[in-house]
Amino acid sequence: MIVKKIANGLVAMGAALLVGSVSAQELVVWHDLGENGITWFQKMSAEFAKVRPGVTVKSISYPTDQWFGRAISAINTDTAPDLIYNNYERVIRVADQTGKLMDLKPVLAQVGDKAFLSEDDLRVAVHGPKMIILPIQRVQMGFGVRKSWLEKVGEKFPATWADVQRIAVKFRDNDPDGSGKKNTFGLALEAAKPRDLVHIIDLFMFGSGLRHTIIDPQGKIVVDEPAHAKVLEEVLKAFTEYRYVAPDTINHSFSEMYQVIEGGRAGMFRVGDWNVKKWDTQAIKGDFLVGPWPSFDPARKNAVVIGGMRGVAVPENSPNKALAIEFAKFMLSKPAQQASLDTVGSAVRSDLDVSALSERQKFFAVPSGPLNAYDFPEATHAFYPELEAAYHRKLLGALSKPPANWRVFISETANEMRDLTAKLAAKK
Amino acid sequence: MTTYKSTPSGQGIFYLFVLPFAVLTAVFGVWPIILSIGVSFTASSTALKPNPTFVGMANYLAILADPVFLASLRGTLIYTALAVISTIGLSLVYALFLNSALISRGRALFKLAIFLPVVTPDIAGYVVWRWLYDQSFGALNEILRAVGLPAFGGLAFESTAMISILVAELWHHVGFYVVIFLANLALCDKGTAEAAEIDGANAWQKFWHVTLPELKPALMVNSVYALIQYLKTFTVVAVMTKGGPNDSTNFISYYAYQLFDQGRYGEATAMATILFAIVIILALGMMRVQERGAKT
Repeated sequence: MIVKKIANGLVAMGAALLVGSVSAQELVVWHDLGENGITWFQKMSAEFAKVRPGVTVKSISYPTDQWFGRAISAINTDTAPDLIYNNYERVIRVADQTGKLMDLKPVLAQVGDKAFLSEDDLRVAVHGPKMIILPIQRVQMGFGVRKSWLEKVGEKFPATWADVQRIAVKFRDNDPDGSGKKNTFGLALEAAKPRDLVHIIDLFMFGSGLRHTIIDPQGKIVVDEPAHAKVLEEVLKAFTEYRYVAPDTINHSFSEMYQVIEGGRAGMFRVGDWNVKKWDTQAIKGDFLVGPWPSFDPARKNAVVIGGMRGVAVPENSPNKALAIEFAKFMLSKPAQQASLDTVGSAVRSDLDVSALSERQKFFAVPSGPLNAYDFPEATHAFYPELEAAYHRKLLGALSKPPANWRVFISETANEMRDLTAKLAAKK
Repeated sequence: MTTYKSTPSGQGIFYLFVLPFAVLTAVFGVWPIILSIGVSFTASSTALKPNPTFVGMANYLAILADPVFLASLRGTLIYTALAVISTIGLSLVYALFLNSALISRGRALFKLAIFLPVVTPDIAGYVVWRWLYDQSFGALNEILRAVGLPAFGGLAFESTAMISILVAELWHHVGFYVVIFLANLALCDKGTAEAAEIDGANAWQKFWHVTLPELKPALMVNSVYALIQYLKTFTVVAVMTKGGPNDSTNFISYYAYQLFDQGRYGEATAMATILFAIVIILALGMMRVQERGAKT
């Protein structure tokens, strides 16, 4: 009797599992956006279930370093997730190491509502002959200044590099936080890793309206062109003889830069669209203004920088490929994009409801001024990471032992980069 | 007396018990090393693909021609030499101090003080050290200023960065080595020291001719372990300097990690393999020298 009951129970359980597996489907997405990203995918999952009942989307967030290894090895061993999500330059590496990411051009062609995607957005999505991501979130970065400090030193939001210089000195010397100590700095920057220092230079270059930092798409080194050299020299001097930054900045990466910003030690800093939600309520508690990057030349329009693009990619060996493609397209829909703006702070659509956003969030969500996008050299030059690392090393040497003549140093550096480019291009 | 090894069935039981650990060691210890060495002979752009392109010694030749790698290797060896000598020296002195009659009270407190950093999470400890060295709000320079001394460059200058991270590492590791020395000191024959004292040996002679020879086992274990540990220095660099300023603390483990970050897997694993070979050769060499010393 008991045996019969157990057998019946097992049969019922098996039937339930079978029915469940037929009617319910789960898509798995791997990303590195942490808690905000998990919340975003949960919201999108709920919205997607309205058009595809029974389908759930499960997202798993990995630290960026782990995301690379896991994504590459899973795709290479046919244990891929349904979708992967990350910044374009990271997806490029996965594409290069696996050769198994789908070409999404035909997928994008099926999307009717896509007029909001700019040429820059689409250019970033392409790597070689393939469109490897659908662009989902634009990464925007503006220039931030502590509002109360500006008021204390009697200044307005800086528009030019000369304004920044004047304010930086006041922030350093005039006790803007009222602590009675000389413990504040003009700027919060970073320099420790190749991406850190070049990222800062990128921001000032693109923010000032220039189009490249080290190399142009044709492979020409632009470092010592007059307009570029001027910005580069000033940024390097900000680290050294101008003393606008904390002395330890040479060892600062992103986390240390955030400590300087959030700890109230520097008055001017980078503000990413993803930072605003937190800084409106915590750490800086809304005591900051956001605007475009400072102008270095009245002939060029300064801008907010589009520093990257996050997008979704579909592995060729995705276990539920058709459904994964459907969800990838859904990520460009209004409900998915609204969820993106509300949870992560960025999107690509321009028709979203921004009424609940703060003024600083609106600055990014509804851009009113010029936007200047990175040139994404990784997408054009396969050797770019090596070139960038060598450039960084050269600049770090100068930050550590400043040269007597910056212009000569910049010219020498440019020539070294030209030699290296020729060597690397031949090798690849 | 019957031992497990003396009968065939005993040997079977022995191997049965050993088998799980042998398998674990092979799978999680030896196999990743073999894979890593394999990757070092492949082109980075294909290293993680199912059929990577074999490039022979190209990655090794590339890194041996890289001046940054050569500087990194030199820096790693200098740092290791400084760190091993200071770790062994400090831990030996501290262990002798704890073992002496000089401290009748507070011995437990001193033991706790030196061992506590060992069980402190290393990252947390190094973050605090980074703050201590900070040029604008660090406690170290505040103290120096208060007593009228010039500021210490800490992590912000090439000339002081290496010594700064060495101090932090000593703080974290020395307690472990002290424990090994204390264990050895507890096994020493006190009668020999007493006999030497009766024969008129002074404190130095007693240490040099009696205590130190008896500490040879701990000296060997500690110096080999310290050598391996400091050659692989990574965490302190990642937390405190990120290889800077200007590569002055860019040791091989960290440099290889940076190359991984750039997707240069072939060169990165070639560096790791060279480091692995150096560790093995130096550790085995050191053990051989000390074993010879023990026999003579």
